[in-house]
Amino acid sequence: MKTGRNIIIIAVLLAVAIIIPFIANNFFIRFFTTVLMFGVLASAWNIIGGYTGYASFGNVVFYGIGAYVTAVLMEKFGVSFALALPAAGIGAALFGVVIGIPVLRLRGHYFAIATLGVAEAMKALVNNLDITEGNSGIYLPIMDMSVKAQYTFFYFSMLALLILTLGVTFIILKHKFGYGIRAIREDEDAANMVGINTTLFKIAAFGLSGLFTGLAGSLAAYQQGFIKPEAVFSVEITVKMIVMAVFGGIGHLFGPLLGAATIEVISEFLSNYFLVAHTLFFGAIVILAIIFTPKGIIQLVSGEKKLTKNFFLENIREHKV
Amino acid sequence: MSAQVSSKQPILRGEGISKFFGGLAAVSDVDFELYPGEILGLIGPNGAGKTTVINMISGAYTPSKGRIFFKEKDITGMKPYQIAHLGISRTFQVVKPFKGMTVRENVSVGAMFGAKGRERSAKEAIEAADEVLEFVGLADMADKPADSLNVASRKRLEVAKALAMGPEVLLLDEVMAGLNFGEIDKAVELILKVRESGVTILVIEHVMRAIKAITDRIFVLRHGVKIADGPPEEVLNDEEVIKAYLGRRYKELVG
Repeated sequence: MKTGRNIIIIAVLLAVAIIIPFIANNFFIRFFTTVLMFGVLASAWNIIGGYTGYASFGNVVFYGIGAYVTAVLMEKFGVSFALALPAAGIGAALFGVVIGIPVLRLRGHYFAIATLGVAEAMKALVNNLDITEGNSGIYLPIMDMSVKAQYTFFYFSMLALLILTLGVTFIILKHKFGYGIRAIREDEDAANMVGINTTLFKIAAFGLSGLFTGLAGSLAAYQQGFIKPEAVFSVEITVKMIVMAVFGGIGHLFGPLLGAATIEVISEFLSNYFLVAHTLFFGAIVILAIIFTPKGIIQLVSGEKKLTKNFFLENIREHKV
Repeated sequence: MSAQVSSKQPILRGEGISKFFGGLAAVSDVDFELYPGEILGLIGPNGAGKTTVINMISGAYTPSKGRIFFKEKDITGMKPYQIAHLGISRTFQVVKPFKGMTVRENVSVGAMFGAKGRERSAKEAIEAADEVLEFVGLADMADKPADSLNVASRKRLEVAKALAMGPEVLLLDEVMAGLNFGEIDKAVELILKVRESGVTILVIEHVMRAIKAITDRIFVLRHGVKIADGPPEEVLNDEEVIKAYLGRRYKELVG
């Protein structure tokens, strides 16, 4: 029954998503493309942060690497986007594997700080390399398409990437790998004792998170046509994906996407009506959400919990607010 | 009972194993053998080094000195997951359930990644987990979150996870601590049932009535040193053991 209902909901959402570019204007197509992108970023973060339990504060590094691999390959080596895109994803994934070997030895806050450091270091490196044209930024080749066609292209590419990210995550969760990383999240020592090669699993999860984030970075870079290190390695992007994932519900397949959509809509709305104070309101909404629905608003949307006084009281008690 | 303990090769053997923490010798120069099919009790006062021995066998600690052999294969210094794949499973004194997962998922993880994990698909592992849950008597709670269980059930879940891995040797670290008499009797029954299924067991326990009921042989640690090794009646009447561990009044109490 429940799976049947879920399939219907997904089908409806997908149908709406496919129709949007044919009825919406460019502004909305672009807006929804951003929603989809953050859906990918937050969902990719969910693999390492939500399911494996390693809160990465440097996932933007994959985004930046994806963007710069794409820019450098296309601009300096004349590679087509069709090749640059997978190269960006694979490059980010490999970086995740290589950097994961040392940093995934750390746990908790130490892992968070180390990943933050990795992202900042990569920003500094890209800022100072010749091949990336340093801090002046780098242009990407211009697409030979009408504006509307470009917007539609990126919209559908991002939608496809989101479906890929969620699809792969869904499959993982049904297989041993999914059980393994969730066991690591719950108790890493116990996971090791039941025969899970925890190092391998953590690195694979980090690499996978890097893959999807890198692909999103690649698409975003090509769409923007010009990228700078400050922008694509911005801590703000990491914070945003984490807030979205937590807001929506970490460790839930659709939680991060829901969080991304809700937060993008809220912040768009707020910045329209409150030009100066919108970040203040936004902060207040996030704080309230964390206090009242610490496990994410997906719990309410999916009907797992009912929106009653008791639900809030339970959460408040549990978190000793 | 001791008829089952043949003169066969030991399945698990420790040779002069020691573990130092800084200047403290938690375990020093301990030899032990575990024979196929037996239940070996490991007892001793708090801080004697019992859990450290299990930690060394299961790979959580690497021995500072000495070697450990599993079926004559040297496993000293191997990683916990590698040792688990060979067929040694353990439980934790302070239970470590995967809290955010259901009871069935907890046991499934054991079935997926333990010694028999490789030959099972995820789906087969879940089926195997259900069988183990039936075996240990937790089938009714399969869909409950692991952290909703009471102490006795958590201990049982700990055993179920270890069993689902398909071990040849099971290391039980105080699975009866905190249980009431009725629950202890059930746990004793369960451990005997596990042995009947062909698993060799090393058990750390403080509960004397359980130790007497299940073990074929006991070895005793004090301050990290082995002070006795033999059949339960003999060891539990050993003057040194009584003084070291059970207290002078043990005999009066037990009669």
